[in-house]
Amino acid sequence: MDKLTEVLTRKFGYDSFREGQKEIIEHVIAGQDVVAILPTGMGKSLLYQLPGYLMEGSVVIVSPLLSLMQDQVEQLKMLGEKRVVAINSFLSFEQKEMAFRNLSSYKFIFTSPEMLQNERFNHALSDIRIAYIVADEAHCISQWGFDFRPDYLRIAKWLQHYRQTNVLALTATATTNVVHDIKDTLLMREPYEYIHSLDRPTIAYEAIEVKNAQEKLAWILGRITSTSGPGILYTQSRKKTEMYAHELQKRGIRVAYYHAKMDQDDRILVQQQFQQGQLEWICATNAFGMGIHKDNIRQIIHDHIPTSIASYMQEVGRAARDGAQSIASLLFTATDVEQAFYVAMQDFPEEADIRLAYESNNIQLQLPETTARILDYWKEELTEQETTRLFQTIKQKKWTEIQGLYTMLQNGVCIREQLLHYFDEQLTNRPKHCCSKCSLPLQEILVDRKQLSEKSEEIDWKIKLDELLHS
Amino acid sequence: MYFQQLLLLIIHKFQGERSSTAPYYLLKGKKSGQTIQDVTYFQLHPYFSLYPKLAKETYEEEIMKLHAEGFIIMNESMIAITEKGLHQIVSVRRPFYNGWILRGNEFIFWGRVELIVQTLSQFQGNEKKFVPVQKNNEIHHFVKAFLHERDFQSKTFVANFKKQLFHLLENTQLLEIHRNLFVYRLSGYKNSGLTWEQLASHHHITVLDVKFLFIECLHILLNEITEEKYPDFHALTKDIYVQTPLTDSANKTSKLFEKGYTIEEVARMRFLKRNTIEDHVIEIVSVNPNFPVGSFISDEQIQQVLQIAQERQTKKLKIIREEIPDLSYFQIRLALTKGEEING
Repeated sequence: MDKLTEVLTRKFGYDSFREGQKEIIEHVIAGQDVVAILPTGMGKSLLYQLPGYLMEGSVVIVSPLLSLMQDQVEQLKMLGEKRVVAINSFLSFEQKEMAFRNLSSYKFIFTSPEMLQNERFNHALSDIRIAYIVADEAHCISQWGFDFRPDYLRIAKWLQHYRQTNVLALTATATTNVVHDIKDTLLMREPYEYIHSLDRPTIAYEAIEVKNAQEKLAWILGRITSTSGPGILYTQSRKKTEMYAHELQKRGIRVAYYHAKMDQDDRILVQQQFQQGQLEWICATNAFGMGIHKDNIRQIIHDHIPTSIASYMQEVGRAARDGAQSIASLLFTATDVEQAFYVAMQDFPEEADIRLAYESNNIQLQLPETTARILDYWKEELTEQETTRLFQTIKQKKWTEIQGLYTMLQNGVCIREQLLHYFDEQLTNRPKHCCSKCSLPLQEILVDRKQLSEKSEEIDWKIKLDELLHS
Repeated sequence: MYFQQLLLLIIHKFQGERSSTAPYYLLKGKKSGQTIQDVTYFQLHPYFSLYPKLAKETYEEEIMKLHAEGFIIMNESMIAITEKGLHQIVSVRRPFYNGWILRGNEFIFWGRVELIVQTLSQFQGNEKKFVPVQKNNEIHHFVKAFLHERDFQSKTFVANFKKQLFHLLENTQLLEIHRNLFVYRLSGYKNSGLTWEQLASHHHITVLDVKFLFIECLHILLNEITEEKYPDFHALTKDIYVQTPLTDSANKTSKLFEKGYTIEEVARMRFLKRNTIEDHVIEIVSVNPNFPVGSFISDEQIQQVLQIAQERQTKKLKIIREEIPDLSYFQIRLALTKGEEING
């Protein structure tokens, strides 16, 4: 057995690498910059974890999404790795100081882009040996990415201090433009690029145009009560997640809603219930999905046109991790385009906001948090005119993208082909069950829902306590 | 209904002398001079800081409901219970809370129990790698140390722990709903706890009722735990009772008083307003009846204030001051705080 496979087995419990993993890891170990694009669920975390065990020094992972960071730390700890730390704004001053003092004792150091500006942290980092730097969710670096985080752009200045250290950029979805931005911002020198096909052959696509919201609801209730999950129903507002969950509950479905306004404890419980099979369906906003480790999701339903193709791919990609046939259904009406654009533009700075930002130093009080954060960044980099022009362009692009998505759903062309085309990829092998424009024998894809035996939901704490702890 | 009855009870205790925001600040545990002093004035210790996360809108919604039902009357400066409202609470069970010394820390206790039960359950299911429901790192460290000090993988430990939990829950002060909420919120091997929402719909009550019943359940359990009867659970109560119920700032002021500084000097040294330091004095006196107040007010003056309050049946500063304009509002507040200690 070669050394890489040996570590793979010993540390991670797998017998063999998946496609692409080994090449990427070899390049990281060889000290080369790497950009790797792999669809969700293809073993991305292994790419930054494994080389760490074969190299001296700590791995610094910059991750823009705090909830994801928490999940990654937990996953590593579950593998038995104790030398993990997450340095972010959740830590108290004392906890940070403690972490800085012991920095070299950690193999994996997770941190957020904003922490890169912390002087004490940088001082501590300069004293330790860094094996390589990982930019996770690298698409957030690009303003063309669907999840643009202006804070993340500050990584460019920070990286100037680490010109000798190689960088590994990871993301699940990126267009050519986004890849270009990533390489640029991360100051990469002739990086090794690995782009995995974004196609997921076992996910069939279904687009259904309906007249109005009532028809949508009827369709959704019909589908979920008659066919089998587990599944996620994505919708755009907290209210709607609750409405759908309520309607489905009335029809005997084991379902819960999930959105960002819930208590953290409750969110975790819902995730666990879903993972353990206590729930068949989740009605969720796009807040649901990160850190869900469930292999057997069979259906994803969208009741709206998503605000970007990349985010749609990510949400759909949560199905079929086990490789078994699954289906992604999208319901839309003609007016959903405007709605999607409205949602996409919610925190987007208007011309007046931009003027305000350049005139005043205290925009936090007057603008939504995200808007203020974005403008605070650009104010340091560009003139007012340039910023205004920049946002006009982005807005225009966004509109084109959403329109494009709408056309994609409506026209007669294969959905899979069009989705891949957006990421500059050609479809090479059409799966048997492709999409509603090609061939889609639903009876072969969907499984009839078994009516659950009406287990009396009697509440008795003594019984539950016995289930939890056997005597 | 449970939460509304609790609100009515609190409003009743305020005796119509405070505005509609006072019960809100009390439940949130606002650390202002006024709220802290009211705790002593109106004997509201059990309810202080019961639910620091209470949203203003949620609270106002409940108040509007009580108002619409005719259980309370209110205007800009005061809120009071009506005869009809009183009927709602005279015959109901008195809730048991210990807010003043717990201040939300009961959830630290809960988190420890939750993580221990999950760990034991996972180990019994032979799935030792699992994602903890509890995310708080300090609780992780605590539980890890707790379990390592004990032979937690042995059958006897689990059996013993379960037995203690069982007895604890059989406590007759608890209602059956308390026990159900507590146990059904727990998670274990292939067995997740229920969300507040799910608990509420199972019991046909509101989410707010569930949360306050759950908090009450924790307070009752904690009150019951003694080292002799529940040795393992007693260990889980470490550091959850507030030692000095003073705010950090009042504590600093108190230390300076001990060194003999005056109000003005303390204010100057700490770059704070005189008013703030006066608030601290009230807070300190509320907590520590032995704190000497002779330099701020004489015994005679205290008696004078108390007498007026008694005669006029009020604790409103303005009314009292009309009769003794020589005293400052601060002195009147101080006298009333001392008075509660004498009577209470």
